[in-house]
Amino acid sequence: MKQSVTRWLILPACLALFFVTTVFSFDFTELENSVTEFALENGLKIIVMERHEAPVISFVTWANVGAVDDPKGYTGLSHMFEHMAFKGTTTLGTKDIEKELELIAVEDSVFLELRAERKKGRLADSVKIKALEAAYDEARDASYEYVVPNELGNVVEREGGIGLNAGTGYDFTIYIMNFPSNRLELWMALESERFLNPVLREMYKERDVVAEERRMRTDSNPFGRLFEEFLAVAFKAHPYGIPIVGHMSDIQNYSRPSARAQFEKYYSPSNLTVAIVGDVKPKDVKKLAEKYWGRLPSRPAPERIATVEPEQNGERRVVLEDPSQPIYLVGWHIPEGTHPDRPALDALVDHLGQGRTSLLYKNLVKEKKIAMTTAAFAGFPGEKYPTMMGAFAMAASDHINEECETEIFKEVEKLKNEQISEEDLAKIKARTNASLINQLDSNQGLAFQLAGYQVFWGNWRELFRELDRINAVTTEDIQRVAKKYLTKKNRVVGMINTEES
Amino acid sequence: MRRNIALITVFVLLLVLATLSVNAQDVDKLKFPKLSELKVPEVERVTLDNGIRLYLLEDKSLPLFDISVRINCGSYLEPEDKIGLADICGTVMRTGGTAKWTGDEIDELLEGVGASVETYIGTVSGGARVNALSEYTDLGLEVLSEVLRRPIFDGDKIKLAKVQERSAIARRNDDPQQIAFREFKKFIYGAHSPYARHTEYATINAVTRDDLVAFHKAYFHPQNVQMAIWGDFDKTKLLPKIEQYFGDWERAGELVPKPPEVNYKHQSKVYYIEKTDVNQSNIVMGHIGGFVTDEDYADRIVMNNVLGGGFGSRLFNSVRSYEGLAYAVFGVYTANIVYPGVFYNFASTKSETTGKAIQGVIKEIKRMQVDHPNEDEMRMGKDGYLNSFVFNFDSKSEVVTRLMRYDFYGLPEDFLFKEKENVEKVTPDNVLSAAKKNLHPDALQILVVGKGEDFDVPLDQLGYGPVDTIDITIPSGEEKKELAVTPENLAKGREILQKAVAAHGGFENFKKITSVSIKGTSLFSMGGTEIPISMEWIRVLPEKSKSIMSVMGQVMYRIRNGNTGWKTDERTMQLIPLTHDDIVGDEKDWARTTIHIFAASDDPYYQAVYDGTGTVNGTPVSFVTLIGKDDEQICRLALNSESSELVSKSYLDETPLGAGTVEETLSNFSQINGVRLPMTRIRTLNGQKLTQTDIAEFIINGDIPSDAFDKPE
Repeated sequence: MKQSVTRWLILPACLALFFVTTVFSFDFTELENSVTEFALENGLKIIVMERHEAPVISFVTWANVGAVDDPKGYTGLSHMFEHMAFKGTTTLGTKDIEKELELIAVEDSVFLELRAERKKGRLADSVKIKALEAAYDEARDASYEYVVPNELGNVVEREGGIGLNAGTGYDFTIYIMNFPSNRLELWMALESERFLNPVLREMYKERDVVAEERRMRTDSNPFGRLFEEFLAVAFKAHPYGIPIVGHMSDIQNYSRPSARAQFEKYYSPSNLTVAIVGDVKPKDVKKLAEKYWGRLPSRPAPERIATVEPEQNGERRVVLEDPSQPIYLVGWHIPEGTHPDRPALDALVDHLGQGRTSLLYKNLVKEKKIAMTTAAFAGFPGEKYPTMMGAFAMAASDHINEECETEIFKEVEKLKNEQISEEDLAKIKARTNASLINQLDSNQGLAFQLAGYQVFWGNWRELFRELDRINAVTTEDIQRVAKKYLTKKNRVVGMINTEES
Repeated sequence: MRRNIALITVFVLLLVLATLSVNAQDVDKLKFPKLSELKVPEVERVTLDNGIRLYLLEDKSLPLFDISVRINCGSYLEPEDKIGLADICGTVMRTGGTAKWTGDEIDELLEGVGASVETYIGTVSGGARVNALSEYTDLGLEVLSEVLRRPIFDGDKIKLAKVQERSAIARRNDDPQQIAFREFKKFIYGAHSPYARHTEYATINAVTRDDLVAFHKAYFHPQNVQMAIWGDFDKTKLLPKIEQYFGDWERAGELVPKPPEVNYKHQSKVYYIEKTDVNQSNIVMGHIGGFVTDEDYADRIVMNNVLGGGFGSRLFNSVRSYEGLAYAVFGVYTANIVYPGVFYNFASTKSETTGKAIQGVIKEIKRMQVDHPNEDEMRMGKDGYLNSFVFNFDSKSEVVTRLMRYDFYGLPEDFLFKEKENVEKVTPDNVLSAAKKNLHPDALQILVVGKGEDFDVPLDQLGYGPVDTIDITIPSGEEKKELAVTPENLAKGREILQKAVAAHGGFENFKKITSVSIKGTSLFSMGGTEIPISMEWIRVLPEKSKSIMSVMGQVMYRIRNGNTGWKTDERTMQLIPLTHDDIVGDEKDWARTTIHIFAASDDPYYQAVYDGTGTVNGTPVSFVTLIGKDDEQICRLALNSESSELVSKSYLDETPLGAGTVEETLSNFSQINGVRLPMTRIRTLNGQKLTQTDIAEFIINGDIPSDAFDKPE
C-alpha cells in the first residue's frame, strides 16, 4: 500500500521534469531549403530534395488517379492499369513491336467479340463461343511470341534498382523505385518512357493475376472481407464504397481498350507529380527531366468526380457471419484531409487509440483484458474526399465484439462530455513532433510525403506545417469535433461474428 | 473493319514514337557517371569492464537517438512444455515494470515525449529497441537499464501477456498464408524443434512468474549484451552516461548453451490442410536450406535471383506473367548463421489451378539444374546484386546492427565485402552446379492449404507420394480428462491435504472450532459497476447459521436453526421460512468452507484425489479434488506446490449471474486461534469477476448470543 502511494508522488514529478525541456517546434527551415520545385511546359510537376548522406536516390511518381476514378462497370480499372505499367513500352519488352502491336490488335478484336457473345447470357451461341475461345487462345499465343517478359523490371533490377513497386489507393496511384545516385538518367529514361509509350501486353493473363490478388487480399482474408462490406455500407453514393481491387466479375470483364482509355484520360503530364529525394543536384534533374519527361505531350487535365456522399441519417451496421475470430470496426464520417477540423480530429484519434496510454488500449487491453488489440485511425479509406475516422478491436479469446463495442462507446462519450486535460494535449503534441522527425529518416518516405502534400494541398510545404496545425489545437477544439462528428447517427459499425461450425 | 481501324491507329502511334523513344539498347548505351565512392561510416567499438559490447555511430543529421540491443538468449532455451515462456518474458520485462517504475508509468513517461523502449525474445536472440528524440537520451537509457536489469514481472501484466498469447492462438488459423508457413516449418525442422514449434493453450498456462524470473536471471547478464547505438550524440558525453546506467551491472550466470543442430533427411511428401472458407490455395514446397558461411553461398545468391526473386525471375515470368496463375509467387533458398535456412517455394492460386501451379513451380526448379542462366538472367541475378550493393550502407541502423551481429557470431567485419567479391566471380556454370548440388526437385515436401474439393489435380497424383492430411484444430487448454480415482492418486491426494492442514495450523486446532463469527464487506461486480455489501455471518456447529447482508440500505437475513429457519424474500422483503433446498444449500456452502474442509480431513468417507499440477495466477499449484459421502465432488483445491498454502477452490454452483464454475481465490491469510485463514476472497464465475470479500473481524469460538438464531424482529 505504502509503495503505491510513493509511486503516485514520484510520477508527476518525473513527468514535470521531462516536460520542462520539451520543445514542440523542430526547425524545418533547413529541410525546406533543401527542396526545389519546378514544372515542365507540359505541366509535369517535379519536387527535388537534396540529401547527400548516401549515394542513393528515391523516386516516387504520383499519378492523381485512383479507384474513385474507375469507370462504371470497370471497378478496379485504375489498379489494373498500375499492373500494366510494368509490362513495358514500345521499346522495352518486345522482340518486334510492329508485329506485336498487329497481333495485339487481333487479340483485342477477337476478345471483344467473345466478350460480347458471352454477355448475351442465356441467349449466347455456345458453338460460336467455343470457336471464339479457340480463336482467342490462338491470337493470344501469337502475340506472346513477341514478348520479352518483364524487361522493364529486369533492367531496373540489373542496374541496381531496389524496391521497384507500385500501389493504387482510392485517391492515387504511385510508382516507386530507388537507384544508386549515378543511375539518375536511367530512371528518367525508363520512367518517362513508361508513361509515354506503354504497351499493355499480356493484358488478359495479368487480369488473372489481379483476380488472384483479389482472392488473396479480399476473399481469403477475414480483414479483407470485412473492409469491403464495411465500406460498401458506409458509402452508398461516393466511390469510396467500391473495392480498390474491383469486383470479381468486373475484373473478368476488363478489356485492353478500357485500360488504355483509363491511361489516356488520367496519365497526362499535368496529372503527374514526381518527387525525387536523395543524392541529386536539382540542376541535373531539371536538365534530364526536360530531355526525357519533356517528351510527354500535354493533354487536358481529367475532370474530377462530383459525387458527394449525402449526410447519413442513422447508424448503419453490417455483421458478417464468418468462420474467423471476431473483429470489430466502427467509423464516423469526417471531412477530407485538408479540412480545418482535421488537426483536432487527428489529435482526438491519437488520444483515443494510439499507443499504450490511449483511452482504448488502457481500457480494453490493459484493464478489462477483453481485447487483444485495439486502435483508432483517421483518413480511412482516403484523404482527398470526405472520409472516416474510427476504431477497431480484436476481442481477446473468450470475449466478444459487443463487450468491445460497449467500452469503445464509453470512451468516445468521455471525449464528448469532458475536455481532455492540458497535460494530455501537450503529450499529443510532443508525440506528433517526434513522429514527424522520425519520418524524416527515410528518403522514400519523404518522397511519398512531398508528392502527396503537393497533390492534396497544392503545396508540398504544407508537410512542414503539420506540426503548426497540431500545435494550434485546443482542448475545446477536441471536445467540439467529438460532439460534432462522433454521433450515433453518423456512425457505421462492421463486425465479424464467429460462425458456429 | 474494326480490326483495320485498330491497326491504323497503331501505325500512326508508331510513327509518332519512332523518333522519340528510348529502347533497351539505348538504355544499355547510357553512360552512368561514376558512383561517388562508397563511404562506409566508421563504427566505434567499446567494451565496458563488465563485458557489454558497444557499437557507436554518430549521425547528427536529425535530432534522434536510437539503440538496438542484442541479448544472447532465445526461445530455443525454453522447455517444450512451456513454449511461450521466452516470448512472455520478453514482453513483461517491459510492460510489467521495474523496481523504480510500474509498466504503466513507463508507458506514460515514454509516450508523453514520443519515445519508445521495447523488449523481446526471439528464437535465437533477444533484444531491445530504443527510439527517442536526442533530448530524451537520458530517459531512453534509464528506462532501458531498468527494464533489462530490474524487471519485476508484475502479475497483472503476466496475465495480460497470457491473454494476448491465448488470443493469438485462437486466431492462428484465420489466415491461410500464416497456416501454410507455420506448418511447413514443422516438416523441415521437426514439430518439436525450437525452430518450428509454437505455443498452445497448455504451454502458455504452464508458464509461471517464477519461470519468467528464472529465465531473466539465467541470461540477462552484461557479458551477454551488445548495444548498437546511432544518432545524434557525442561519444565523449554518452559513454559516461552508459557507464552510469550499466557500469555497475555485474557479470554473473553460466555460459549460454548453443542453439541445437538440425538433422534433415531429404524426402518426398505431400500434405493437405483443409480450409473451406477460401477460394485460393496457398502452396509451400521445398526442403532444408543452408548457411551463409557455405562455400557456394555467393552462387546461391545469384541462383535465387534467377529462380524466384523479383520481376524477371523464372518463377515470376512463367507462373505469374505467362500463365497468370498467381499474384504471389517466389522461390528462395534461404540461409542463416546458426541453423540452416529453408528452400521455400510459394504460390497462391485459385483452387481450380492448384495442381497446375504446383507443376509449374516444380518445372522451374528442375530447369534450374538443366539450363544455364542466360545472359539477361546473369545480368539481373548478378549485376543486380552488385549494382545495388550501395543500399547496404544507406541507413546508419543497418550498418551498425549488421556489425553487431557479425561480431556476435565471429564473422569477419568485412564479411559483406567478401560476399560481394565472391558474387563478382560467379559464372553461369557456378549457378548451375549450385542448383544441382543444393536443390532436390525430386525430394520435395509439398503443403497445400485450401479447398480440396475444387482442386484440378488430386494431390496424390502429383508424383510425390500419398497425401498426409494435417489436422490443425487448436487443442483446448483444459485437459478434460476424467478424474482418475486410483489408489496412487488417493494416497497422494491425502498426503497433500495433510500437508495443507499442517500449513494452516494443524488438524487439532481445526477440530477445536465450535463457532465462527465474521464481519466484513463485499463488492459485487455486475454490468461494469460494483455494488458494496456489508455482511455478517455466524456459524455454530453443527447446524446453526445466520447471515445478514446490507445492500444499499436494505437488510437481508438468512437464518438456519437445524432443519428450520427464515430468509428475506428478495421481492417482497418479507421474512419467509427456509425450504428444504435452502437447508441442503446451506450444508453445501458449509462443506466448502476452509474450516470444514480441514476439520473433516480425517473423515474416512472423505476422498482426496490428486488431480495433477498447474498454475493459478502465476503460482505453481497441485490440485486435489475432494469427493464427499455420496460420491459428489465437493470442490477442487489448488494448493501451493511449495508452501502447501491454499490458493484457490473451484466448484460448480449457481450464482445470481447464472450457473457455472465458481473459482474462489484466497489471499491475505491471518492467524486466528492457531489456524491460518484467508481474509480476502475473490470469486469468479466462468472467469468473470463476481465478488471480492474482505473480512474485517474474524472470531473463532467467541460468545454467540443465545437468541442469535431466533426469528428476527
